[in-house]
Amino acid sequence: MPEIKVTPLGAGQDVGRSCILVSIAGKNVMLDCGMHMGFNDDRRFPDFSYITQNGRLTDFLDCVIISHFHLDHCGALPYFSEMVGYDGPIYMTHPTQAICPILLEDYRKIAVDKKGEANFFTSQMIKDCMKKVVAVHLHQTVQVDDELEIKAYYAGHVLGAAMFQIKVGSESVVYTGDYNMTPDRHLGAAWIDKCRPNLLITESTYATTIRDSKRCRERDFLKKVHETVERGGKVLIPVFALGRAQELCILLETFWERMNLKVPIYFSTGLTEKANHYYKLFITWTNQKIRKTFVQRNMFEFKHIKAFDRAFADNPGPMVVFATPGMLHAGQSLQIFRKWAGNEKNMVIMPGYCVQGTVGHKILSGQRKLEMEGRQVLEVKMQVEYMSFSAHADAKGIMQLVGQAEPESVLLVHGEAKKMEFLRQKIEQEFRVSCYMPANGETVTLPTNPSIPVGISLGLLKREMAQGLLPEAKKPRLLHGTLIMKDSNFRLVSSEQALKELGLAEHQLRFTCRVHLQDTRKEQEMALRVYSHLKSTLKDHCVQHLPDGSVTVESILIQAAAHSEDPGAKVLLVSWTYQDEELGSFLTALLKKGLPQTPS
Amino acid sequence: METRAPLSAHGKENLCLVMDPECSRLLPALCAVLVDPRQAVADDTCLEKLLDWFRTVTEAGSSLLLLQENPCLVDLLSHVLDLKPQDVSPRVLSFSLRLAGTFAAQEDCFEYLQQGKLLLGLFGEAGPLSWAVWSVPTVRSGWIQGLKSLVQHPSGLHFLGDSGAVDALFSLQGDSSLFVASAASQLLVHVLALSMQGKAKGSPSPKGNAWPACAQKIVAHVEASLCSAAVLQVTQALNVLTTTFGRCHSPWTEVLWGQLSPLVAHLLESDPIPAAHSLVDLLLSVARSPVFASADCALWETMARMLSCLSPTQAGPLALGTLKLQHCPQALRSQAFAVLLQPLVCILRATAQAPGPPGLLDETVEGDSMTVDTLLSSKSACVGLLCQTLAHLEELQPLPQCPLPWPQTLLMEAVVIILRLCDGSAAPSSSEGRRLCGALAGCVRVQRAALGFLGMLSQGTSSWELVPQVFAILLETLESPASSPTVLKKAFQATLHWLLDTPKPPGCLGLGPHAPLFLRELFPVLQKRLCSPCWEVRDSALEFLTHLSACWGGEADFREALLASEVPKLTWQLLRDPESYVRASAVTTMGQLSSQGLQAASNSPGHSEVQQGLVGELLHILSVDSEGFPRRAVARVFTEWLRNSHADVARDTEWFVATVLQMVSQDLDWEVRAQGLELVQVFLAQTLGQPNPPCPYAVALPKVTPPSPLPEVLQTLCQMQIFDFAFRALFDCDRPVAQKACDLLLFLRDKTAPCSGLQEPGNSSDVASVEATLERWQAGEQGQPLGSLEPEVVLAALRSMDLEGLQGRLAESSDHVEKSPQSLLQDMLATVAVLEENVADCY
Repeated sequence: MPEIKVTPLGAGQDVGRSCILVSIAGKNVMLDCGMHMGFNDDRRFPDFSYITQNGRLTDFLDCVIISHFHLDHCGALPYFSEMVGYDGPIYMTHPTQAICPILLEDYRKIAVDKKGEANFFTSQMIKDCMKKVVAVHLHQTVQVDDELEIKAYYAGHVLGAAMFQIKVGSESVVYTGDYNMTPDRHLGAAWIDKCRPNLLITESTYATTIRDSKRCRERDFLKKVHETVERGGKVLIPVFALGRAQELCILLETFWERMNLKVPIYFSTGLTEKANHYYKLFITWTNQKIRKTFVQRNMFEFKHIKAFDRAFADNPGPMVVFATPGMLHAGQSLQIFRKWAGNEKNMVIMPGYCVQGTVGHKILSGQRKLEMEGRQVLEVKMQVEYMSFSAHADAKGIMQLVGQAEPESVLLVHGEAKKMEFLRQKIEQEFRVSCYMPANGETVTLPTNPSIPVGISLGLLKREMAQGLLPEAKKPRLLHGTLIMKDSNFRLVSSEQALKELGLAEHQLRFTCRVHLQDTRKEQEMALRVYSHLKSTLKDHCVQHLPDGSVTVESILIQAAAHSEDPGAKVLLVSWTYQDEELGSFLTALLKKGLPQTPS
Repeated sequence: METRAPLSAHGKENLCLVMDPECSRLLPALCAVLVDPRQAVADDTCLEKLLDWFRTVTEAGSSLLLLQENPCLVDLLSHVLDLKPQDVSPRVLSFSLRLAGTFAAQEDCFEYLQQGKLLLGLFGEAGPLSWAVWSVPTVRSGWIQGLKSLVQHPSGLHFLGDSGAVDALFSLQGDSSLFVASAASQLLVHVLALSMQGKAKGSPSPKGNAWPACAQKIVAHVEASLCSAAVLQVTQALNVLTTTFGRCHSPWTEVLWGQLSPLVAHLLESDPIPAAHSLVDLLLSVARSPVFASADCALWETMARMLSCLSPTQAGPLALGTLKLQHCPQALRSQAFAVLLQPLVCILRATAQAPGPPGLLDETVEGDSMTVDTLLSSKSACVGLLCQTLAHLEELQPLPQCPLPWPQTLLMEAVVIILRLCDGSAAPSSSEGRRLCGALAGCVRVQRAALGFLGMLSQGTSSWELVPQVFAILLETLESPASSPTVLKKAFQATLHWLLDTPKPPGCLGLGPHAPLFLRELFPVLQKRLCSPCWEVRDSALEFLTHLSACWGGEADFREALLASEVPKLTWQLLRDPESYVRASAVTTMGQLSSQGLQAASNSPGHSEVQQGLVGELLHILSVDSEGFPRRAVARVFTEWLRNSHADVARDTEWFVATVLQMVSQDLDWEVRAQGLELVQVFLAQTLGQPNPPCPYAVALPKVTPPSPLPEVLQTLCQMQIFDFAFRALFDCDRPVAQKACDLLLFLRDKTAPCSGLQEPGNSSDVASVEATLERWQAGEQGQPLGSLEPEVVLAALRSMDLEGLQGRLAESSDHVEKSPQSLLQDMLATVAVLEENVADCY
């Protein structure tokens, strides 16, 4: 029985470390290869030993697909390809291919810098890993091999994020990665065609949430920043180099322009240039408004946002600073935070998730006295704000996508078990499809009914056409032929052609049926009566009475014989070839009814 | 929830080994939160880290004492048992099960917990096993992990036997979760090994029916599973046995194998063989066990039978495993090697190549038709078998167990023909050959595997007449427009191997007869690849060139071929490549070429201008490149140049170092700043002598006498602003930079003290001013410059600093405070209050 198997190694009823194994028609695909930033040891990576026990990784896996550049989706990739030993192809979109190494490098530097981790992937490994990447365009069907093909769809969420359709023959799976069904300030909404996959694997971060409009959050953000700088305070916004930072930059830049503000805005990473370069390069991936206005004004060329120098942090007066890394766990953002934390006029805005153990996590959970190195205590007097700018589809968006793709079944990943359960029931009720939510390590098996393509010979088709009836889409027509299975191909040809191709001799197969009739007349007379009866009944057929006394109707032979046990009865032997099965059955039934009485 | 190894050694060093009063104070509140159904716990990672910490604490001290001093922990376990079914959080329950197991690993603590019937409640049949929450894999996983921790002593073993847990483990082997099923099998092995532990010493080992009840039960279950018609059950039994023979090497395992081997051998009689993959693993695991070092004919016979009846794809791993064994009969080795070679032999036959040395094929005829069938059955089967075979042979060749004689010629011919089938240049006449051609044409996977193996083959002893064939196919692959970037990368690697390991005829000097000819053809191809639109290809080509010139830069033939080509010019142009990886590689390559005087024709009049131009170009990259990789590469090249006294550096070393430092000190990339410190270190070693060996017993290097008197050297260092740079780096916000700067300043201090030529600073206010500035720098205010420094002032400042103390602090991971258990407990408690506000978000 053909089946699709799905086993999450990460993102099964949790968020972080996305890694889902899909087996479809004998092909094995890994969807995402993420890292969990909350762990400091090997547990941050998915447990790949469950794949390596199937033999060599590169032989087992046909490809790896990365949905977008966030580390919980691609962070384990260099580890997997350069340290665990996967040597096969990795697919991702062009922007993801460009941006992914920047974030991996960023993370590597923090891991080595902050924690002094020696056993971590190196820059060279990131580069070698990226050399295995095959970049794909949206809506381009890419043949991984003769049987396996993949296709990317726009997912919103972050620059370059894509949903992927994986197809082998007539079986297909769609994996959404992270997506957003509503456009935001710099990106458009996710879209997929009605591809009716056997299975849709969708993220479910906001499985139970209906999110308020992002506009409200944006207004709130601008209001808070504005109020702080108005009263002379400094605003720190810890971000990762690429992604949300650009969205917030556009937001502030536009606001500054509109309000004619003069307070300086700085970006501290030294990566702005590169980030902006990529946004310009991949302008087609941004939303309509940015694309339309691009000719007059490039939204990623900021007038008000300048590069930050370490010395600026001590400058008096208000300012806004974007600094990396995003969780206040090392480097410049932490350094600035330590300087500014003591002043209640200042504000730190955390625009994203922080893992336990980071200063970001501590201040978000309300801790105001932080122990720093050397037993120093840092008192946090500055205001702390959390604003989620993460761009995921909410419950409504997820339902919308399911409606768009029309899958035969749905599988939820990247979410919390309780919330998933709620959404699962909703999907099953509304769409009448099965919905699964496996935990990490659990395998979901879906039986499929594959449609097997069969080629038909031209000769056979012509013969059918010659019979005069044109084929109609909604009226199935019976067609006789011989099915040849050869070299994993199926072809329907005429019997003669099949015999010829296979070098076989034709065998005659005749069916014989005995019809008992109560009649005392002689066999010859009996045969004659049969002949007369059939001649009068079957006007369109060729009925003959042969010299040996037997009667033929087309290929059907009828002979009369005496009954061995009952002298008052006769036996009619009706014999036909399989080609005349229909007529043979008809005659048998007709004769069983008996012969008409001859007028005496 | 998967079951991973708890924590790497690295993770542990940051955890406290004892329960300090602050943690003891926080624990009760946390335990209360954990069992409060109204409160949600932050995330799984917190519970995992908490468990890590308890594990560390219990490994270092008494668990019983810990529980007695912190009764809230026992309360936590009992509260979990008292919760209403709907209030049980699977995460907390799983955590509690594992925590209980961790405590009960010590026998006295086990007894203590048993008195309160807690363990029976948690692990017995009436516990979570029968609760609704058992359907959550995390709970089942926690239950197994807890038991595994608990079963460390005879009491634990008895408890396991009495509680009915073994039967539960049998059924968990077939769990829907891979993680749970695997953990259940592991625990069964652990239990079997532990129950047999006492029996290991007695020799001869008792028969199976005299074994402890628990062991007998497990073995009986394995026996029954091996006889089962369900493949899944057979697989489970085989996996348990594989782990057992892999881990336990006591005499009882021999008895066990004696008892079970007929059942295992019986499996071979089925067609198809059930769970073939697991069966292969088991046989190899048994064969590897030192217990079976003495010849066990039955085992070898089973392996031989298995080799002959498995499909070629299944037999491959068994053949490789067999060949890697230390002790194995020669006949079996020959059979295994024949199995491994068979696909390649079939390829050679189908393409009508000479089938290698006589005799080799005689042994391969048996499975020949099966291999041919696999190769021809479908494209994916053909590709799969060839990739596997090539990878196995690549793995085997460098091993000491590599079979002898190694059929180098046959393998080279086979790989060459495979590559030709892939690139379409082979035109076999047989129908099989043509079908192979159809299956392999354009197949990147096979090409990569073949090139990987071809590279490895360079290490074998090949007849030098065959080398041109290899070079020809490599050149074709490198030249072909159809070669993908990944194939080209492999082709470059293989070419490098063959060039550097080319066999030479006896008495031949230099590069040998083939290489010069090949190089003349290679450089035009390399030129083309340096202009490839794919950055991956340009980068691989540059990496190749760097390696090659590092090894052959001094060879006249190489120099001539390189300089006659456009390659140096193109490399120069790549310094401005739009892709930063390529710019970085181009910097490294140019650095390498320049070191060997290879960047332009050496007799051209403009050589020195070109050279000067290069320094300028690299300095330009260092100062303006927007990305770290090229700047890092420049800093590395400069360090290497300084180390090797590159002519341009030697011309005015002080100017050079000072210029580089000025740029590096402003760099936003800490790795560039760290590389700057490396440069200073090399410079100081050259001017002041090598650092003292860290170990007093180490052989001391001959001391380099500084070329100038110390006061003068110090004066120069001050003028070069080396101290300014090092002090600034000492308070860098990136730890590795500060660490390196600290080491550097310690070196300077040691080298300059006692400095007889210097007076104490005349003006102590200068010292105070420097110290004050340094304090401000330490506080993060680095705006103010240090000003012009006098050697005396610097030395005084150096002596007054507690550099050793700073070194110790910097050696710690910078998040050691945040990673401490107190921090963890505080975070968990603090999160509870605000969890609803900040909904679980992500990236």
